[in-house]
Amino acid sequence: MDTSKYKALYLQETNSHLSGIEAGLLELEKGSLAEVDNLFRHYHSIKGMSASMGYEPLKVLSHAEEDLLEKIRSKSLSPAPEMITTLFECLDALKALVGRVEADEPLDLDISAFLTRLKALSEGKPSPAPQPVFDPTVAVQPAAGGGGAELKISNVMKVEGRVFDELLTTVGDLFMALSSFKELSQHSRSIELKDGVHLLGKSINTLHQNILSARMLPIRDLTESLPRIVRDIANKAGKEVSLRVEGTEISLDRSILEDLGSPLVHIIRNAVDHGIETPVVRESEGKPRAGTITFRAHARKDRAVIEISDDGRGIDSEKIRMKAVEKGADPRKIAAMARKEALLLVCLPGLTSAETVTETSGRGVGMDIVKAVVEGLGGALEIESEPGKGTKIRMELPRTTSIAKTLLVTAGSEQFLFPITKIEKVIERGGAALSTIEYAGHEVPIVDLASLIGLPSEARPSSTIVIVELEPEAEHKGFIGFKVDDFGVELDAYIKPLLPPMSRLWGVSGITIMGDGRPVFLLDIPQILSRASSRSSS
Amino acid sequence: MAKRVVIADDADFHRMVLKDILTRGGFDVVAEAVNGEEALSRARALKPDMVILDIVMPLMNGIEAAREIRLIEPPVKIIMCTSLGYEPIVEEALKSGACAYIVKPLSEKKVLAVLAALKD
Repeated sequence: MDTSKYKALYLQETNSHLSGIEAGLLELEKGSLAEVDNLFRHYHSIKGMSASMGYEPLKVLSHAEEDLLEKIRSKSLSPAPEMITTLFECLDALKALVGRVEADEPLDLDISAFLTRLKALSEGKPSPAPQPVFDPTVAVQPAAGGGGAELKISNVMKVEGRVFDELLTTVGDLFMALSSFKELSQHSRSIELKDGVHLLGKSINTLHQNILSARMLPIRDLTESLPRIVRDIANKAGKEVSLRVEGTEISLDRSILEDLGSPLVHIIRNAVDHGIETPVVRESEGKPRAGTITFRAHARKDRAVIEISDDGRGIDSEKIRMKAVEKGADPRKIAAMARKEALLLVCLPGLTSAETVTETSGRGVGMDIVKAVVEGLGGALEIESEPGKGTKIRMELPRTTSIAKTLLVTAGSEQFLFPITKIEKVIERGGAALSTIEYAGHEVPIVDLASLIGLPSEARPSSTIVIVELEPEAEHKGFIGFKVDDFGVELDAYIKPLLPPMSRLWGVSGITIMGDGRPVFLLDIPQILSRASSRSSS
Repeated sequence: MAKRVVIADDADFHRMVLKDILTRGGFDVVAEAVNGEEALSRARALKPDMVILDIVMPLMNGIEAAREIRLIEPPVKIIMCTSLGYEPIVEEALKSGACAYIVKPLSEKKVLAVLAALKD
């Protein structure tokens, strides 16, 4: 086991147990048995963790102390002063050893004399060596000098995730309050107010950035264990698979990363079990014996794109369609679906039981869960696949939670927040209603946002076109223009997720409360794009 | 489907080690508990396939928790984690409803071998 990863946590917990022991021994010395159970547990925990880390002297010493405590706990021994003195000295030895762990030095302190004394005490015999045998010159100075007389505080703090959640909520409230002040300062002539609001905004932003960055973890933390998982699944399935991992230095919010764990395993498992063929089959098809799974991550503005691709047998979208119809889906709807949409049918709960799909389509369990998790995080899932060539699952996810840069737009009689990261350009157009617009050398189709959402469109003389890139990852660029009736300010909006039944609303993915108390929805761009592109092409 | 596991140990350290081992082994750690009481309530709420319990924990120890967890329907497999020097307690653990045990220090090989030997 590679233990280096756990060392910081080991030190942190062990140091807190050492402090607990100190406090417990002081209680014991006063003649109180109230802390005996806790004392016992402190030694027990240090022993267990040291054993797992392979720190033999620490394990042996804490084990011997635990034995003695067990005798005191079960009342077969009563704590004599000599016993407590020995335990204090042993505590110093433990501290010295832990100090060596911290400093990456060998744990070659001689603890045999302590063990002999502890053993004798446990057996109810008088201690054979009443003098301290611990040689301070061998020990690490800070811990041994005067028996831990130095007060030290670790510079790594353990903070519960909940604290960060609360901090983020508070920053969200600050952003809300700020937007009221901003509005006030816009209508005011007071320079002091304007300056104050500007400064306040800057500080809130800095605070927000700091909290967000404290929550960020590299995606590596998640992918570290992928090689092992792939190896094990491949061995079990009799497949040969090599894994390529790229772009793991990108960091994401801890909570997002945490939620991604099991979807990732699902996807990898599917790729190995149902995507990659057996070596014999692959050779007969002219492919290399070993299949390749590639995990690739990269950042796109404030989003992360994660792609997991394999060079296996791919998914037959026609078979998926048939399966969906068999399961009772409307045949006309299914037939009208674009290939991409049809592939996403593997994410329907009924379609993804291993028995029904593995044979026919080469995809297995759990894609419904994967899609639900990704969408729950405010992300989007896409599947590309070509029979015989392989499958690529693409997830686009926010890298941070909660606060989004948005543009306030008006569509019909309603206002919405448009995520700024999705916007290529905003073009103001007067005059006639156009059906296309020139942008970056492309003829870009225009879709009326209000009518797309199902709101009455207001025929205004001038309108604004918000240009959005269709598939930022695609080789050929494509854009779509959303006609909105007006646009307003840029807002750092604290987005609250929609709870059922509102989460079923089409086209929106969150809500914010404006400075004046009005609720405004955040547009769900991936959902809107899929409807818009089918409209603009028909 | 990956087997769903609840792990209970008062040491963050051991939960982290165990969780990593289980995740690498293809298990789905659905909850972590820091004492027997939490383990019991997580097991009741989440109905996992198995619960791995440390024996020495505050509030409610692993053996007490096992006695309650074995009453859950559908049955949850209980695996005890014992520390070196606690082998005698294993018998009590098995009587209280555990079907297997792991002796610390935790190693990937050991943990996965014990879990692989469980009958479905």
